Amino acid sequence: MDILSNLMMGFSISLTPTNILYCLAGAFIGQIVGVLPGIGAPTAVALLLPMTFTLNPTSAIIMFAGIYYGVAYGGTITSVLINIPGESSTVMTCVDGYQMALKGRAGAALSVAAIGSWIAGTISVALLMAFAPALANFALRFGPPEYFGLTLMSFGLLTVFGGDQPVKSVISTLMGLFIATIGLDVVAGIPRFAFGVPQLLGGIDFVVIICGIFGLAEVFNSIENPEEGEIVKQKIRLRDLFLTWDEWIASRWAIIRGGIIGFFVGLIPAGGITTASFLAYLAEKRVSRHPERFGQGAIEGVAAPEAANNSASISGFAPLLALGIPGSPTTAVMLAGFMMWGIRPGPLLFQNNADLVWGLISSKFIGNLILLLMNIFLIPLFVMILRVPYTILMGFIVVFASVGAFTVNNNVFDVWMMLGFGVLGYVMTKLKYPIVPLVLALVLGRLAENSLRQSLMLSGGSVAIFVTRPIALLFVSAAILAYLTPVIRWARKSAQSAKAAAA
Amino acid sequence: MWLADLIGGAVVLLFGLSVVFFSSELPYSSEFGPGPGFLPFWLGIGISGCAVLVLMKILKERNKTELFFKPLTRLGVQMLAMIVIAFLLLPLLGFSVGLALFTATAMRIIGKHPMLMCGLTAVGTAIGIHFVFGEWLSIPLPTGIVGW
Repeated sequence: MDILSNLMMGFSISLTPTNILYCLAGAFIGQIVGVLPGIGAPTAVALLLPMTFTLNPTSAIIMFAGIYYGVAYGGTITSVLINIPGESSTVMTCVDGYQMALKGRAGAALSVAAIGSWIAGTISVALLMAFAPALANFALRFGPPEYFGLTLMSFGLLTVFGGDQPVKSVISTLMGLFIATIGLDVVAGIPRFAFGVPQLLGGIDFVVIICGIFGLAEVFNSIENPEEGEIVKQKIRLRDLFLTWDEWIASRWAIIRGGIIGFFVGLIPAGGITTASFLAYLAEKRVSRHPERFGQGAIEGVAAPEAANNSASISGFAPLLALGIPGSPTTAVMLAGFMMWGIRPGPLLFQNNADLVWGLISSKFIGNLILLLMNIFLIPLFVMILRVPYTILMGFIVVFASVGAFTVNNNVFDVWMMLGFGVLGYVMTKLKYPIVPLVLALVLGRLAENSLRQSLMLSGGSVAIFVTRPIALLFVSAAILAYLTPVIRWARKSAQSAKAAAA
Repeated sequence: MWLADLIGGAVVLLFGLSVVFFSSELPYSSEFGPGPGFLPFWLGIGISGCAVLVLMKILKERNKTELFFKPLTRLGVQMLAMIVIAFLLLPLLGFSVGLALFTATAMRIIGKHPMLMCGLTAVGTAIGIHFVFGEWLSIPLPTGIVGW
């Protein structure tokens, strides 16, 4: 009953003309960002963040959420029509989506992606409504040791999901934590690593770093690797978007399964929407009676990952809202936004800012409906946008990044800092040091350090406090397990190689 | 790539050691518990340790076939140079005009777009920046000789 009354209250906020407009703007921007290769959701949110200084936080977060799940919809168009994923979360859609397009079923592929995303998104919002408040209630028991354990676990999970360079992933995390320590130490009032530069006393603002590391670095990388594909020459009419009865029967369970997988993967810090789409595709192939059809244009191969990525993009808000822990780069940027607006996500958010939380949750129903309609009626428009040369777009990215960095403190020093971080982001990408751990550590750095110091103050300097409290112990154990996973993998691989050599 | 990785690893190691050095100048502990130098010190140790692991791996997998990653291509260098020049000119030209000129130049040099298109985009960008950021969002963007 509580959930229903809260949802009604949420709708009274999200259904105001202003918020509908922001939801529409977010969904539209997200869709465009998803369509354009070379610019991702974190970049879009980072570049728009400084523009929301003066906005009502609820409207701003509704717009950002629209961008986040809009991107998941938009990336599908490039995956299906040119076999280039607009987003990493739509990589799996290329496999069968492009094959469907080659067989003249591009409309059906786009349609099942939109409908699947909408159904899965709605399921995910419903589950989020039940799950997020429960998680927030549970988190009310957390003290500094639990929060330190939780941040440690989030960093650890990044090494598991962070690809094949776990040590580099740890270095990125530590660098992010270090950058977060720059500036005045709030406890002792001593400047750290400011080297007499007054602009560094307040620390390096998160917006400056993300504008550089996501915005500018992407410009440099995209100039080097222009992604150009040939658009499948197929006129998509409205009637092409309707699924046949067989297609609908084949995809209905794939949508449900993808939605549920996506929801739970999205809940895991660092789980992310890309992992969700991969797992949903693999699961669908495994349960299929005809796995050989996958890769040849199976509609389930489009429905499952699309449902999963949209579902995960929604459930990813649960750890952000209830715990204050972002699960992905985009939610990390949003967390910075919350801080900028003076709002602290976490268990108390549901009590202190219920209007924001429920306004946001209810807006997802509206946003998903808007995106469904957009993806049915505006496909030709997005195909047209797809043809915008990147050389025009990159100029605008630089403009937004520069103005965004300036806006933080109204000084040009930050603009130069942003350029520096842009070059750093480029070099890190080249040398295969993942950027996401740095960003996540940066945004959680203060929380991690403060909770560590408070815990040690409480215990008189004894680290036993992290193992004598059950919840903290659980998080710390999960973190240790996560850090050990790459070592175990390496040991197994070495043992197998040794066995093979002996044979 | 091997050499680039090696240099990268060495830079990270140097960075980690610098963090250790500078954080050792900060108080490690305070009356109530860990001091401001506590976490940075251990972060420095961690970065250095991981850098050593990376370097060991690189030295073990010595591969001379591809020494360096493709450095910034000509277009990338041009872009970087244009951004630096634009930023240097910001105090003189102001944000709206400076960044609009940058957009047009980048479109012309990198994208080889027609002059007219570049010019129109520049005018649109200047007006857009001025009205969206300067007027609508009331951000006090630095103005230049044009007064924008």
